[in-house]
Amino acid sequence: MRYFKQSGCAVCVIALICLMLSPFAVEAAEKSIKIALTADAVHVDPQQGNELTSNIMFNHFYDTLVRRTADLSFVPGLAESWELKDDLTWVFKLRKGVKFHNGDELQASDVLFSIERCKNQLMSNLVRYIAEAKALDNYTVQIKTPKPYAVLHMDLSEFHILNEEYVKKVGDEQLNLKPMGTGPYKLVEWVKEDHMTLAAFEDYYLGSPKIKKVTFRPITNPATRTAALLTGEVDVIQDLAVRDADRIKANDKFNLITRPSLLNLVLALDYREKSPTINLPLNPMKDIRVRQAIARAIDVDTIGKVIMNGLATPSDQYVPSSHIGYVDGLNFRQEYPFDLEKAKALMKEAGYEKGFTMALDATNNRYVNDQDIAQALAGMLAKIGITVNLNLMPKSNFFGYIRVPSNKSSFIMSGWDTPSGDAGGMYNSMMYSRNKKKGYGQANRGAYASEEFDAWIDKADATPRVEERDKFLQEATKIAVRDIVLIPIHYEQDLYATRKNVDLKPRVDKFIWTFELDMK
Amino acid sequence: MISYLIKRVFQMVVVLWVVSIIVFTMMSFTGDPTYMMVPLDATEDEIANARMLLGLDKPYIVQYGIFLKNILGGDFGRSFVFRQPALGLIMERMPATVEMVLVAMTLALLLAIPLGVFAGAYPQKKTSRGIMAGSLLGISLPNFWVGMMLIFILAVRFNILPSSGRGDTLRMMGVNLSILTPDGFKHIILPAVTLCFSTLAILLRITRAGMMEVMKQDFIKFARAKGATFRSVLFKHALKNVLIPVVTIFGLQLGDLIGFATITEYIFAWPGMGKLLIDSIYMGDRPVIVVYLMFVAFLFVIINFTVDVIYTLIDPRIKLR
Repeated sequence: MRYFKQSGCAVCVIALICLMLSPFAVEAAEKSIKIALTADAVHVDPQQGNELTSNIMFNHFYDTLVRRTADLSFVPGLAESWELKDDLTWVFKLRKGVKFHNGDELQASDVLFSIERCKNQLMSNLVRYIAEAKALDNYTVQIKTPKPYAVLHMDLSEFHILNEEYVKKVGDEQLNLKPMGTGPYKLVEWVKEDHMTLAAFEDYYLGSPKIKKVTFRPITNPATRTAALLTGEVDVIQDLAVRDADRIKANDKFNLITRPSLLNLVLALDYREKSPTINLPLNPMKDIRVRQAIARAIDVDTIGKVIMNGLATPSDQYVPSSHIGYVDGLNFRQEYPFDLEKAKALMKEAGYEKGFTMALDATNNRYVNDQDIAQALAGMLAKIGITVNLNLMPKSNFFGYIRVPSNKSSFIMSGWDTPSGDAGGMYNSMMYSRNKKKGYGQANRGAYASEEFDAWIDKADATPRVEERDKFLQEATKIAVRDIVLIPIHYEQDLYATRKNVDLKPRVDKFIWTFELDMK
Repeated sequence: MISYLIKRVFQMVVVLWVVSIIVFTMMSFTGDPTYMMVPLDATEDEIANARMLLGLDKPYIVQYGIFLKNILGGDFGRSFVFRQPALGLIMERMPATVEMVLVAMTLALLLAIPLGVFAGAYPQKKTSRGIMAGSLLGISLPNFWVGMMLIFILAVRFNILPSSGRGDTLRMMGVNLSILTPDGFKHIILPAVTLCFSTLAILLRITRAGMMEVMKQDFIKFARAKGATFRSVLFKHALKNVLIPVVTIFGLQLGDLIGFATITEYIFAWPGMGKLLIDSIYMGDRPVIVVYLMFVAFLFVIINFTVDVIYTLIDPRIKLR
C-alpha cells in the first residue's frame, strides 16, 4: 500500500513535469510575446479615435500609404512611390499584390472609400488636407489638397486604409470590434479589459512577422504592471513607473529602455491688452521684459531633477530636432538661462518690481507629475514677485476650460504632441493669430498675434516643397523664441521594461509595433 | 404580496428617474465632453462635426428629453468614447465583477459566521480577542494596500499566485467564468481575498455583537434547561435571532461591492465594470455614467427586495407590506 502511494506520487511528478515542459516545446518553435499596456484599446476602427493604445492597435491591423519609421522618417508603405504633379496635386502609386486579411487585394477604390468615409467620422481631421481624391487606375490615386501642402505624405502616415467591401458588409459597429486590414497581425480574440490576442498575418506585404502570437494585456496600475513583469506573466511593459526604474535596472533579467517622448510641456502666456485673472488695467505680460523675466525665473533643470527624477529632457525649442522647423543651434535655455537676479532686474525695468498676481491653469491627471510641476512653478515665480494662484483641474474639465477664446485664463500649462514630424501643425494651432484664417489659431491660448510670424506660416503653407517649408518654419521658430510665445519646459521620458530576451527599440511616437520586435 | 410588488416597482422607477436627473445635473458641471474626443488642434468645423455625431449639439434639457424617450424604447444611449451602446459595455464587463464579488462574499460569509458565533459565545477567550483584533485590522486596512501587499508577497516574492488578470476562462451559460478552470481559479484568489477583508470584518463583528446580546436572554437558558446541546443552542436558537442584521448588511455590502469594486479591479487588472466607471468619469462619458449609476441603483433595489423576502423566511412574524 505504501509502495503504491509512492509510485502514485512519482507518476504525478512526472506528469507535472511533462505538463510544465510542453508549453516550452511549443514556444521554441513559434515566438510569442505578452505585452502589458497601460489601457485597453477604446477603438479598433482607425477613424473613431486616437488615444495611444488604439493607435498601437491600428498599426497592427492596418497600414498606411506612407510608413513612419521608428525614428520619424517617412518611407513608402502601401504606396510604393508618390510625386507632386503640380502645387496641389499628388499622385500615389499603390503597391501591387498587397493582400487584406481576407485575401482581397488592395485597390485604389479602398483608398478612396477610406477617405470618403473619414470625412463624416470623429477623426475627420485626418483628411483635413484632402480636398478631392480620385483613382486614375486600379493602383493609382490622385489627391488634391485645398492649398499647397508640402507635408501631406507625412499626414498620410496616420491615415489607415480600410477594405471597402468589408466595411460595407459588416457596418460601423462591427468594424469597431472586428478589424480587418492589410496589417501584419490579425485579431484572434478580444476580451475587453482583459486581453487581446493577435496572430501573425503570413501574407503581410513586408514579409511574415517574426513573432507569431501577441497578447496585449491592459494593466492600468503601474505597480501591478511591474509585478506582472517580475513574475514573468508578461515580457514587455509600457510606461514603467519612475520609482521602479532603479529596481529594474539593477536586475540583470530585465532591460530598462528610455527615450525622450514627443510631448512638449509648454506654458502659454497671455498676450492680450487685458488679462482675465490679472487685476491690472494693462496686462504686464504684453511687455517683453516681463516675459523674459518669467522665462528666466523658471529653473527647468531643478524641475527635471527634483520632480521628474531625472526622467525628463529639457526642451530647447517647441519641436524636437528631428522635425521640420527645428533650428540647429538655437536653444531657448541658452537664450533665457535661469538667472533670478537678471529676472528681478527685468521686472524692475518694466515697472513691476512689486510684481502682480495671476492664475495658472493646469491639469492634475494628464501629464507626468503635472500638479507638482505647477506647484514648483508657483514657487519659482514667487521669487520675482509674481503671485501665482494655482487653478488645477482634471483633464475632463481642463480642455474645455482653456479652449480658445480662453477668456478665463492668463497662464496655461499644457502639453503638445507632434508625431507628424512637422512643426507646422503646432504653429498653426498654437501661435498663428486667432480668427484670421479658418483652421488657424484654434489653440492659440495666449492670443499671440504677430504679422511677422503669420507671414512665415503663410509662406510655409503656400509651398509644396518640403525644403522651403522647413526654411520658412525655421524663421517662424526664431520669432517664437524671440517673442516667447510659449515657454517650453521639457519632454517627458518614455520608459519601457522588457525581459532580457526581448529586442525592443522604442519608437519616437511611443507606438509599440510588434512587427519591429524580436525575441532571442 | 401583489400590492407590495407593485409598490416596490413604482418606488424603483422613481429612484431610477431621480438618479438619472442627479447624474445629468452633475455632468452639466464637468465641461463639454466633445473636447475630450477631438484632437487638441481640432478646428471649429471638426468640433461642430464631432458635437453633432455625439448628439451634443442640442440644448442640455433636450438631450435629457431624448435620453428619457430612448429609455422608454429600451435604448440606454451610446457611449461618447466607445461609440457603442452604454448598457452593452456594462453588461459585457459585469460577469467578471459579479464572479469576483460572489467568491469574495462567499468567503466572507463562510468565515464570518463561525468566527462571529465563536467570539460571541466565548467573549473572554484569548482566541476570541485575537479574532476581534484581526477584524479591526480588516476594517482599518485600506483595500489597495492589502492588494498590493498580497501581490508583492504571494506573486512577486514567492511566485505562488499570478499577480493580475483573469487567466483562462470557461464559457458557461453565455458568460465566461474564471473559477471553472485551474488557471482562472488561481487568478481569482488574490482579488477575492482582498475584496472579502472588510466585509468579513463587518459581518463578524455584527454576528458577535448579536450573539453576545442573545446569549443573555431567557429563552437561551430555557433551551439549555430543556437539555439542548450547547452547539445546537448556539447555531439553532441563538444564531437565527442574530441573522436579521447580518442579512441586511450582507445585502448592502453585496450591492456595494458589485457596484464599486473599482479599486480591487484596478489593482489586479480584473476586467470588471468598476474600471469602466472610473474611466468614464475621467473622460466625461455621460451616457455610461448615467446608465452605470442607474444600474447600480437597480441592483440595490433588487437586493433589498431579496433581503426583505429572506427576513420573512428567517422570522415568520415579519410580513411583506
